[in-house]
Amino acid sequence: MSARSDVLLWANRIVNKGSVAPHHLLEIREGAGLDEAQAAFHKVAKMAHPDLHRASLNPEELEVVTSAYAKVAGAYQELRMMRMQTTKLPRTNLKPPTYAPVNKMPDAGMPSGDVKPGVPAGPASAMSSKAIVYYRKAEQALRRGDLRGAVLQIKMAIAADPMSGFLRSALSEVESEIAKGG
Amino acid sequence: MAVALGIDLGTTNSVAAIATPTGVEFILGPRGERVHPSVVAFPASGGVVVGQDAKRFRLTEPHHVIHSAKRFIGQNIRAPLVQLAMTGIRYKVVEGPNQQPIVVVRDRRMTMPEISSHVLLHLKRCAERQLGTQVKDAVITVPANFTDAQRQATKEAGRLAGLEVMRLINEPTSAALAYGFGKDKQQLIAVFDFGGGTFDVSILRLNGEVFEVLASDGDFFLGGDDLDRTLAEVLAAECNRVLRIDPRPHAALMMKLMMGAEAIKCHLSENDSAEGEIDGLDMPNGTTGKLPFSVTRKQFEDLVNGYVSRTIEVTRQVLTAAGLVPSQIADVLCVGGSTRIPLVRERLAELFRKEPNNQINPDEVVSQGAAIQAGSLTNTLVSSGMGARDAVATTGHTTLVGMGAQPGPGNTQPPPMAPPQGMLKRPILMDVNPATLAIQTAGGFTERLLDKNAPIPIEKIRVFTTARDNQTRVEIDCCRGENRKYAENEPLGTLLLENLAAQRRGELKIEVSFRVDSDGILHVRATDQASGAAQEAHLQVLGAPVAEEP
Repeated sequence: MSARSDVLLWANRIVNKGSVAPHHLLEIREGAGLDEAQAAFHKVAKMAHPDLHRASLNPEELEVVTSAYAKVAGAYQELRMMRMQTTKLPRTNLKPPTYAPVNKMPDAGMPSGDVKPGVPAGPASAMSSKAIVYYRKAEQALRRGDLRGAVLQIKMAIAADPMSGFLRSALSEVESEIAKGG
Repeated sequence: MAVALGIDLGTTNSVAAIATPTGVEFILGPRGERVHPSVVAFPASGGVVVGQDAKRFRLTEPHHVIHSAKRFIGQNIRAPLVQLAMTGIRYKVVEGPNQQPIVVVRDRRMTMPEISSHVLLHLKRCAERQLGTQVKDAVITVPANFTDAQRQATKEAGRLAGLEVMRLINEPTSAALAYGFGKDKQQLIAVFDFGGGTFDVSILRLNGEVFEVLASDGDFFLGGDDLDRTLAEVLAAECNRVLRIDPRPHAALMMKLMMGAEAIKCHLSENDSAEGEIDGLDMPNGTTGKLPFSVTRKQFEDLVNGYVSRTIEVTRQVLTAAGLVPSQIADVLCVGGSTRIPLVRERLAELFRKEPNNQINPDEVVSQGAAIQAGSLTNTLVSSGMGARDAVATTGHTTLVGMGAQPGPGNTQPPPMAPPQGMLKRPILMDVNPATLAIQTAGGFTERLLDKNAPIPIEKIRVFTTARDNQTRVEIDCCRGENRKYAENEPLGTLLLENLAAQRRGELKIEVSFRVDSDGILHVRATDQASGAAQEAHLQVLGAPVAEEP
């Protein structure tokens, strides 16, 4: 079949080219643009992508085709990088992921408490730093089961930050707990 | 006729399918389910239970139920993100040889590929029962940003399950294939894949039968599980507050809260608020408690907003890497269960200024693409000799988009615009190298050999020489990453060339070829140019599967 011999002829030609400029491997003119390079590479892929020849070539022949294809892919990438750099695209450099724990639940019926020790708790952004000190004490009191102590500390926190809706809802919640006889 | 399976091996769920001349047929589980949980249980009663049945043991024996193995497969256990992931599981993982994670269940020690092989074997058996024939070949999908070691480990899992893994393909590419195959499209698309345990996004150019990935990136440790855990932590705090019990040290209790959180999350995708109580909480003091909850969609969105913003940020970066702006994208495909969250779709619509495509099933599209690729590789996709397969094309059968155009053997009325029989072109996937591969040079810097987002398979050849007289050994440090400083990147291992002929410095020329194959796996080969003697240099990637010593 001619497609088979065509691809083998092409592959041998590429493999024997040694190390030459990318446009020679893609078989396009020097100074060709990105579109031209891409069209050429797609043409190569349609004819010689190793997946197309898995069944029809023997392992040695397939290796030659794969080598040639991989070599042309390298040339295409090189051209692409050159062209993309000349069009001055911003370089991307992914930063490592930052996992800001989002514990905040504004107007939530359930203050998140300190789920992660050492991590700033959610309510932090909902009140002033002075209020946080009292709120932390309230949390400690809650953990001891001392509801009245917690109420006192939350009231102190509210005094420090009268604008915090979060603290007021926390207060009413603890107070209703006491009312329930907790 | 050989049947080749396409498998979407997911963190939380797996789906398998085969391509038939008329469409894609899904492999069903024992209860007729298309989606198979990637859960393996080793119950006290003995044996191995996989899939839906294994999930039942999560409450009674949380330490013996292995889930999310994909988060550990092919990973170095010492990596900080792996350590983080270990805080989210209730089974025991220890360090094994080559720094690979090992699961310990009672007195059994198992590698992560072994765990995943149970899931694959389950799918293989389901397929064999359904199709009434042996299944040997498979195409398995992996996240686009899976590393070399993760890919090798996934192939190993396939091998352990008795499957010939013809190809690993990237999940977003697979989704794009299912979307565009047979439609002769000329457009740019974005695939946004936000699953149970991983997130990645790819930009592709569809050019007829050619599917070219232009850029791809993601965040390996970001998925629906993280959203569940965030909500479960709030429930835990609530449990602590209301019931006066800190559930965090208690595995079964936390698992129950995680399951509650998952249910609340799913409910909130359809409703504005979720109210109710989680009951049957077995307290450490022997009592049974129940935890009331009330969460609005707004509250949930505030809770997970940081994670969603991160996915949008990565999407922007991938667009930049492809040299494109959002308005150039013709269609946005949503893949993975987490894309059902309304906030995710809203943020995508905001970025691309168009609604994401809602025609595709986010849970099934990846396996459909894998099935098409499997059919293409075995050359069964476009041949007309598959008429017998129609006999089983019943349940779970979905007509492929655009494939209805291909007339089956008994179909004498091809729809208009149909390509003539046998002319349906085999798809060509041009996937990309997931990460930059570089080597160490003098002064602790790197030299880039293979760029991230370069098309694969790809090869780069470098010539090395000796630095001293009579040097018989050359070491080449390889790493993965974008940083110019070697130490800032992830080390891949050291390539060792030994027994070189003793010559004066600079005289010996060693040609080293670095090739990333179609599966995204790196192969290194060194040739002594003088003698022509080739030696396969061995690059032992840390975290890669190696046999445990008995």
